[in-house]
Amino acid sequence: MTMAATHHDTSVETAAPPTRKQPDRTALLLAPGVLWMLLFLVAPILMMVYVSFWTQTTFKIEPTLTLKSWVAFFSSETYLGALWTTIRIWLIVLVSTLLVGYPAALFVGLFVKNKTLSTALLVLCVIPFWTSFLIRVLAWRPMLGKEGAINMILMKIGVITQPIEVLLFSELSVIIGMTQIYCVFMVGPIAFMLGRIDPSVIEAAQDLGAGFWRIFRTIILPLSMPGVVVGAIFVSVMVLGEFATSAALSGRKVNLLGNIIVTQVGSLKWAFAAVAGVVLTILMGAVVAALLRVVDLRKEL
Amino acid sequence: MPSLAAFARPADCEAFREKSGPELVGTEVTSVLQLKNVHKAFSGVPALAGVDAALSENSYVSLLGPSGSGKTTLLRVIAGFDQPDGGEILFAGKRIDSIPPHERGIGFVFQNFALFPHLSVAQNIAFGLSNRAVDPVTDTKIVAAKVRDMIGLVGLSGLEDRAVTQISGGQKQRVALARTLVTEPSMVLLDEPLGALDANLRTRMRGELRTIRERCGVTFLHVTGSETEALAMGDTVLVLDRGRIAQSADAGTLYSRPASADVARFLNCYNIFPGAVSGDAFESPVGRLALGGTRLTSGKQAYAIRYDRVAIRPRDAAAAGDEVRIEASFVASEYSGAAINSFFTLDDGRVFEVETHLSHAAPEAFEEKARYALVWKREDALVFD
Repeated sequence: MTMAATHHDTSVETAAPPTRKQPDRTALLLAPGVLWMLLFLVAPILMMVYVSFWTQTTFKIEPTLTLKSWVAFFSSETYLGALWTTIRIWLIVLVSTLLVGYPAALFVGLFVKNKTLSTALLVLCVIPFWTSFLIRVLAWRPMLGKEGAINMILMKIGVITQPIEVLLFSELSVIIGMTQIYCVFMVGPIAFMLGRIDPSVIEAAQDLGAGFWRIFRTIILPLSMPGVVVGAIFVSVMVLGEFATSAALSGRKVNLLGNIIVTQVGSLKWAFAAVAGVVLTILMGAVVAALLRVVDLRKEL
Repeated sequence: MPSLAAFARPADCEAFREKSGPELVGTEVTSVLQLKNVHKAFSGVPALAGVDAALSENSYVSLLGPSGSGKTTLLRVIAGFDQPDGGEILFAGKRIDSIPPHERGIGFVFQNFALFPHLSVAQNIAFGLSNRAVDPVTDTKIVAAKVRDMIGLVGLSGLEDRAVTQISGGQKQRVALARTLVTEPSMVLLDEPLGALDANLRTRMRGELRTIRERCGVTFLHVTGSETEALAMGDTVLVLDRGRIAQSADAGTLYSRPASADVARFLNCYNIFPGAVSGDAFESPVGRLALGGTRLTSGKQAYAIRYDRVAIRPRDAAAAGDEVRIEASFVASEYSGAAINSFFTLDDGRVFEVETHLSHAAPEAFEEKARYALVWKREDALVFD
């Protein structure tokens, strides 16, 4: 037996000595990540899809498969309304973070020539994140409220006589809050891509006779598109899954899919929450897939 | 071969020629670019300390300078990327110091090519034509025709739709040049254009650059740190030293009659001794060197002898009456095919280089650390005083 084992070992070694260790190491390095993803991402998603077909009664849930929760979701105006609100707010926040974030990124990534200074400015953008999410959201209340800072200042300088009530507990306040919170996720990737543009490429375009807007449209914008797409993916995924900002700043007037899930889970309606969850997951997948179509990130990064 | 008619000169240049036609012939009509006392300092450190130069039309000018001599700064000032602190820049007779780069009509070829990475070869070349602020070409057919001719001229046919990230260094160089030439500039500035290429390609591109320039009839100002490149390329060679033009001459004159010991040093073909003339000899750290060669006036006194004008003889050989002789110990030699360069240390520790051409004689073997006599004709030396 000893003989046989020795013989076996040597034959393996002589047959394929260079490739022998390679597959072992690959599997070893991948195992923790794959295991983690299977256990905590793939399995829960499958579970969620499964539970969405369970039978829900007022007090309990049974693993008897039915389409009732799905039918209820798509025939209820409240839930379809929440789906539409989610899409609308996502689109508005996406556009407003881009409008606010792109010029800021342009300044930090391209116009600030000093690398140390531009890094410092990017760090400044992240400073609000040193406080908790809830505080950042709630801090908007004294700003936007009927007797809040903005209304008081506007009244003091005589721009308005009546406080603007729509500022707080409305869709507008949710959009303002989300734009502020998620803007930095747009600025970062764009500033990174802009910072990678070789300054001599822009000088070359100048030398060839192009003015600033032409250079922006033909050189700077296309070269920063991967940053825009990455930023848009960050913002989209976070805004689509949002529930806290809308709960805190809309006074429960704005219901996103996230809020629906929270409420349903709170009242133990698991099957219903699962349906909303599946819808939300499909929506996010579609959005990310569409954004990745815009730019071939593998080629650009 | 593309039709050369496609490279008709730009209208403004044409107009300039007619205007300044016959009555100015023989005066300044041949200088396309004039620099008068151009100054530029970066946070107090002068980069250009009063540059005066005139570049003639339709010529290949090379600008030689060691690193830190201000050559890139000078180029950027001419192109308009940097503003001079003082002085005048005249281009085709007009002051251009305050005009933005894109209105100057001067093309710039960057050292790293600075191609637009997201555009194809043809799109890169078409960029200037269709995007320039002044007089853009909107007819896509005209743009396509000009681009096609230019691609033929620089020898890039077949690569039109390639991404510029997928072509070789030499091809990138051609795209960079074509992109500038297609906008028909009156002058092209090239910032160390061959620096990013490998040695083989560099030699081939030298010839190509000259041919392309001759076909387009524009002035090229080629900046380089390599003396061989400067001498090989330039109809005129400008030597820039510490922010000033130290010499402006044709290659032959520059090589045999450098204007100062510093210029001689950049040429990398002269042994230079400091010291002073006293009586009929030059008092140097290695002894008295008899005079008899060319005397040149320059700020600093020095004695220079070309590497290839020195003969190596056994120590006991005596010098003839018209020769200068010093002794040195042999260190090493470097074989470069057609010639061999031998290095000696003089008594004061200075390194002395001798270049021996091998076309007539086989290389001699010298003994390391042995003493030899180094001999040259008095008349071959240059004496600066």
